[in-house]
Amino acid sequence: MTSASPTNKPSSLFEAIELKKEYDDGSVPALRGVNFKISEGDFVSIIGPSGCGKSTLLNMLGTLDHLSSGSLLFRGKSIIDLPDPAAYRAKDIGFIFQSFHLLPTFTVAENVQIPMFGMPWSRAERKERAVKLLDSVGLSHRCDHMPLKLSGGERQRAAIARSLANEPAVLLADEPTGNLDSKNAVQIMELLDELHQERGMSMILVTHDLDVAGHAERVITMKDGLIVSDDKSSEKNSSYKS
Amino acid sequence: MNFLTIVTRSLWRRPVRTSLTLVGIAIGIAAVVALVGMASGYEKSVVKQLEVLGIDVIVSNMEGGMMPKPFDAKLQDEIRDFPNVKKITSVLMRMISVEDAPMMMVSGREWGGFTWDQLSVVEGRMPKDDKERVVVLGRLAAEVLRKKVGDTVTVEIEDFEVVGIVDGKSVVENGAVILALPLFQEVSGYEGMVNFIDIQVPSEADKEATQALCDQIQKIFPEGRAVMAKEVVGTSQGFKIARAMSWSTSLLAIIVGVLGVMNTMLMTVFERTHEIGIFLALGWKRRRIVYLILCESAILGLLGGVIGVILGAVTCMLLEMTPAIHGLLEPDLSLTLMSRAVMIAVLVGVFSGLYPAWRSSRLTPSVALQG
Ligand SMILES: Nc1ncnc2c1ncn2[C@@H]1O[C@H](COP(=O)(O)OP(=O)(O)OP(=O)(O)O)[C@@H](O)[C@H]1O
Ligand SMILES: [Mg+2]
Repeated sequence: MTSASPTNKPSSLFEAIELKKEYDDGSVPALRGVNFKISEGDFVSIIGPSGCGKSTLLNMLGTLDHLSSGSLLFRGKSIIDLPDPAAYRAKDIGFIFQSFHLLPTFTVAENVQIPMFGMPWSRAERKERAVKLLDSVGLSHRCDHMPLKLSGGERQRAAIARSLANEPAVLLADEPTGNLDSKNAVQIMELLDELHQERGMSMILVTHDLDVAGHAERVITMKDGLIVSDDKSSEKNSSYKS
Repeated sequence: MNFLTIVTRSLWRRPVRTSLTLVGIAIGIAAVVALVGMASGYEKSVVKQLEVLGIDVIVSNMEGGMMPKPFDAKLQDEIRDFPNVKKITSVLMRMISVEDAPMMMVSGREWGGFTWDQLSVVEGRMPKDDKERVVVLGRLAAEVLRKKVGDTVTVEIEDFEVVGIVDGKSVVENGAVILALPLFQEVSGYEGMVNFIDIQVPSEADKEATQALCDQIQKIFPEGRAVMAKEVVGTSQGFKIARAMSWSTSLLAIIVGVLGVMNTMLMTVFERTHEIGIFLALGWKRRRIVYLILCESAILGLLGGVIGVILGAVTCMLLEMTPAIHGLLEPDLSLTLMSRAVMIAVLVGVFSGLYPAWRSSRLTPSVALQG
């Protein structure tokens, strides 16, 4: 049992080669040649000082922005210039944001249904799925409330339910606990742990918070648009030093 | 929740702006309905009048505003003996202010002409002959002028006694002051002049024969024109002007409506950049977002159009009750006009949404999310 056979090797989820992103016609380099591989089922955190390019990287993984150069593969296929990035965003990935990004004019259950448009489900099926998802994050009593009536923790749980709408392979989370107090932050992280462990979902989590980063099995540290350390220790949070 | 819920939810979110936009479109469409309804109502009323009177061919001058310029009445004697002229009579018809009414049809008719035949006396009597200095009033004219039999009415420079109130079976007839031709020629200063010669052809004369008669008249009256009654509305300058004016004013109103919706939709798109970013991040296709915005603006147009049609119809009815218009015409509020107006409104909506929709489809999701 010294070396894993090739068939047992976990398959690649993301592979980035020399990712570069410049803003404002090249005057602001946000990513300056980033390389990594993330496998199916990984829980990865990305940390680093403000402005180092963490969100930019996450946006690239989510096709929310265009690369300047480099290549980026999802399950072995390039996601640069996808003919239909919407389908990729809708089905393969789920997003969670620091400021939740719930639509204020729609109820919690309606928010959860937004990604389901374009899927071959009836109105009743969408509703049913939304209620189930909200139940799974402990919000079944909040289905018909407006997001603004919810606490921060509840809003983030609603956003997580929404990100799961189409059963994505991976959750991309940008500072999911950044706007929450520590108690709510712990709850959200427990929820993400659960999704990772019980459903085997991959997680890529950008954070400032080392405690939060410690939930991951692997911590990538960035600085000035580059990866400066990639700690694949399976022991959680054992070797991160600030 | 379905797609329509999403469309309407966005409109409801800004009730004040949505209603102001609706008012904008509605006023534009109301103007279209009112103006075009009045203009085409006027045309239809005239066609109806000609039909009731049994006029087949009309001879008049080309020029003139609402009414063609008068010409020498002697022309009638030349035409009388042409083939296919069954009955012929002449009229001096002018649209003038009579007492309180700013615009009223005054019709001086050749005594004994067939245009007197369809008038039935409702009250009082007809004039005895063309020497008796009296008038009869159409039912609506009597109403507008608030006159009874025995009252006097001032036409141009002279007071005439009202001896009868008549029904002429068409709005134009009922809205007119009718008197004998020589009296009207005298008081209006057009002695020996008329501006219409009305001809009835025998029933066996077909369209070609009637056209031949028109051509023959045209030869001896080159500066004027002779047209079949059915074509008078389509060819007359006055009607053309009225139609052009009503449509061009409508166009202006529509442009104002377009700018209103466009402004609303653009503001909506600017304000909703963030929301559009969320839709994009959640995997909505750009096409669906474009469709969402176009649906929103189409619904604005549809609602505005329906309100506008109602508003326009009410305006027409109110206008029709004013002394200025009562008796001149019956507004034409046909289903065709109303559905056309609603269609215009929806098109206005969709058109106004095009640019905002295009803009929204150009957004980069990550940038939109920050906005
Ligand atoms: N849309 C943009 N236009 C121009 N520059 C941008 C844009 N987005 C990010 N940048 C710049 O790119 C660099 C990386 O930004 P990014 O948001 O990825 O940092 P970050 O690591 O997420 O920081 P934080 O921890 O504060 O969220 C920064 O210098 C930032 O100013
Ligand atoms: Mg960031």
